[in-house]
Amino acid sequence: MNPYLPHLAEIRKIIRETDANDVKTFEVVFLDEAVRKGFRYKPGQFAQVSVFGVEEAPISITSSPTQKGYLEFSIKRMGTVTTALHNATEGMIIGVRGPYGNSFPIEDMEGKNIIFIGGGIGLAPLRSLINFMLHEENRDKFEDIMIIYGARSPGDLVFKWELKKWEKREDVNYFVTVDKGDGKWRGRVGFVPAVLMEVAPSPKNAVAITCGPPIMIKFVIQNLQELGFTPEQIVTTLEMRMKCGIGKCGRCNIGSKYVCRDGPVFTYKELQVMPKEY
Amino acid sequence: MSEKVIQKNKMVDFLNELLKAYKVFAPVKRDHIVSFDAIQSSGEMLLNYLNSRIPPKEIFFPRSEKMFEYIRDDLIEVKEVLPSEERKVLFGIRPCDAKAILLLDKVFDSPDYQDPYYLRKRKETIFVGMGCDRPQSTCFCTSLGGAPFSEEGLDLLFTNIGDRFVVKGITEEGETLLEKYEQVFERAKKSDLDDKLNVEKEAVNRIKSKIALEKIEKRLDKMFEDSFWDRIYQKCLGCAVCTYLCPTCHCFDITDETMDTSGERFRAWDSCQFALFTLQASGHNPRMSGKERVRQRIMHKFNYFVKNYGEIACVGCGRCIKNCPVNFDIRQILLELVS
Amino acid sequence: MQKREKLLKEEVKKLLDKKQVDMVIGYEKGTLALRTTPCFLASVDDVDRLVWNEFCENNLAKYLPGRKEKVAIVAKGCDVRSIVGLIQERQITREQIFIVGIPCEGIIDRRKIESRLGEKEILEATCENGKILLRGEDFQEILKKGDFLYDSCKVCKYRNPIVFDLLIGDRVPELEKIDEYAEVRKFEAESPDERWLHFQKEISKCIRCYACRSACPLCYCEQCFVDQSQPRWIGITDNPSDVGVFHLFRVFHVAGRCVDCGACSRACPMNIDHRWLLKKMEKDVKELFGYEAGLSVEEVPPLATFKEEDPQDFIK
Repeated sequence: MNPYLPHLAEIRKIIRETDANDVKTFEVVFLDEAVRKGFRYKPGQFAQVSVFGVEEAPISITSSPTQKGYLEFSIKRMGTVTTALHNATEGMIIGVRGPYGNSFPIEDMEGKNIIFIGGGIGLAPLRSLINFMLHEENRDKFEDIMIIYGARSPGDLVFKWELKKWEKREDVNYFVTVDKGDGKWRGRVGFVPAVLMEVAPSPKNAVAITCGPPIMIKFVIQNLQELGFTPEQIVTTLEMRMKCGIGKCGRCNIGSKYVCRDGPVFTYKELQVMPKEY
Repeated sequence: MSEKVIQKNKMVDFLNELLKAYKVFAPVKRDHIVSFDAIQSSGEMLLNYLNSRIPPKEIFFPRSEKMFEYIRDDLIEVKEVLPSEERKVLFGIRPCDAKAILLLDKVFDSPDYQDPYYLRKRKETIFVGMGCDRPQSTCFCTSLGGAPFSEEGLDLLFTNIGDRFVVKGITEEGETLLEKYEQVFERAKKSDLDDKLNVEKEAVNRIKSKIALEKIEKRLDKMFEDSFWDRIYQKCLGCAVCTYLCPTCHCFDITDETMDTSGERFRAWDSCQFALFTLQASGHNPRMSGKERVRQRIMHKFNYFVKNYGEIACVGCGRCIKNCPVNFDIRQILLELVS
Repeated sequence: MQKREKLLKEEVKKLLDKKQVDMVIGYEKGTLALRTTPCFLASVDDVDRLVWNEFCENNLAKYLPGRKEKVAIVAKGCDVRSIVGLIQERQITREQIFIVGIPCEGIIDRRKIESRLGEKEILEATCENGKILLRGEDFQEILKKGDFLYDSCKVCKYRNPIVFDLLIGDRVPELEKIDEYAEVRKFEAESPDERWLHFQKEISKCIRCYACRSACPLCYCEQCFVDQSQPRWIGITDNPSDVGVFHLFRVFHVAGRCVDCGACSRACPMNIDHRWLLKKMEKDVKELFGYEAGLSVEEVPPLATFKEEDPQDFIK
């Protein structure tokens, strides 16, 4: 098995997520049925996505393993690969290899209250876990589920079509906020870390999972600690430049860890002993 | 394991025999630079050399190599490009470089993912070591658990005892070679073996650079934030000489080369010393200055690699010292760290 | 030499003592024969580490861009011309640096010596009265210094720094009757095919460590085009066209700026002769614009400006 070879996959559907059109969600199906069946992933893992003729980039898988037969990637337009994907049309063939990385420590989260704190496109990796937990097969394994999600503006909120479903669910404590509203926005206005303090989830038997812009993560972690969360109870994901995805090329090395292999999911406790080089 | 003797004038015969059955890589000198390359005739091989400037890692991990090709027309087709599995002899590798290959094996042949490009070239290779009877002033292999005549990673080891070599079979592969080409070898006399021991002892004594590195990993655990790095990085130019010529450095980049409807994916050496090595698409660069990059090189070799693979990723070959444009000497850094 | 070194130490001590500068960039003893290494001194107590000899090959102007403090820099004639370039291009201000100019009679080319000695390791090298004394474990050799100078030093026209705040010791006589473009003329006489072959052969040695760029004092771009990957400007493989593009672009990028200090060739671990094309470019710029780089702080490099009298024959 050559781990560097991408499997061919078709972009079946493209969803425009933000008003600025800088985030799109891609529904992707492997051409080969055996690959489709064999590609088993867990929430928090990522894949290396190839645009043939451009290059490859690591993208977190935003779909949940409970969604069978296809993968979803939500991608912000940033570099060459993501720009090429944004220019893609439905039906285009891309390459996907993976899944890579660890995953969210799902077993450790069972029987606990779960608090998701996301910002902007940072909701993408969290969404995989949220939908996994909310799936009827798994919901019973977890206690209260809280989602705090924010973006710069209403137009920057991603997965709006799904946020509504989460909001409606009785078994989800859902808060959405924007840094700055527009004329139509009736919801909450305020930064995510502030909203976190406002709703003040209890650290008792809880795990908080956060992903978003670095500055948001920084304040969220501070605030969680203020609320009494221990570093073991705080989980986040790291972003680093990656190439191989399998712990060989050396690029995503932080301390003795390779983000592609040992991450991208780390508890704050793990991060505390790692060099601040991310 | 058995020891034989080969007269120096028989080396040509031995190499010629090997060339019939194997692809032979050996040290050659081109434009005043020694490197390992495939030889066509025994005369090309250099018998008297200190060490190659480019380490033999390039045989298994070349500066750039194709990984696959693809056609992107209406349909996309990916065609894997794997190196051929040919029987190779790496003739004349120094023990330090052989050890370095064992360290690279840990990375490219890790239990989770095996790198086929490296392994296919690596697998069928017989390592014929040339003991290092003239260690250089920059050599410090003995500080890293190596030795000028270490057998680690070798199938055969040659020791120069004047007009002939003592050849020791170390592995079954090596023994097989000794048997297969027995016509060029002679029985080793007691005096030959005594000579061998003397040469080896003398070589060890010639190594003057000694650094007690037993505690370096622990020491570096506490050094990440130290002002030490502010001081030592200053003269570093940020080129890749040290990492490209290092027998254990293995960072690489992956990229596509395309023409109209076809393309190829390549990988090529890359270096943590380059400014944009860690630059993210967002514009954020976790290693902003030369300080962080020099620190990364030292930390990776003497701390991170140890934690991951149980050994220091340096074999003391001295290439980074000899070839640095500004004479940045890693031994000074290490001495200061352990003192 | 030793006299000059002593004088250098005395003067530098004064500079630091009187706090005229925050730091001095100079050379100290290296760990290898035939070498010295750059050093950064902020304390009077460290000044005795400074050395000056025929092995001070690095161009320390490399360390100037981006400095905040007031620095003194030990600079040979060629190095001073690089500093002039950096001032012209506003990478440093003249006020910020104190140029400790040092007349130079040529630097010894360690590669030439190593090539001469083959597989013998040199453990000690000194230079006295035009003779290089080499010692190894089982040999001694005396070579004539004049035969082993860097090629750039052999055709140097500015052995005495042209801009300085302080000159260490007496001026040295400038070289007479040098033909700095002899090699270039040979190259110019070649057919295009021959030139291409020549170029291909030279760059085939390149391993793309970019030491040439990293050592060049005028390669100070915050992001070098060879490192950029969003998008990439050139491929990263050993494909000759990519390697060639790197070398050609670099030559063009330093045209009219390069002072032939030789730092690129000295840094190259693969013995590539970078000067060969650079010198051609230097000659072209001189012929087209009557300009020689790094001679006056007030001048503007010809390719950074437009003058009406600039040659415009290329517009057909």
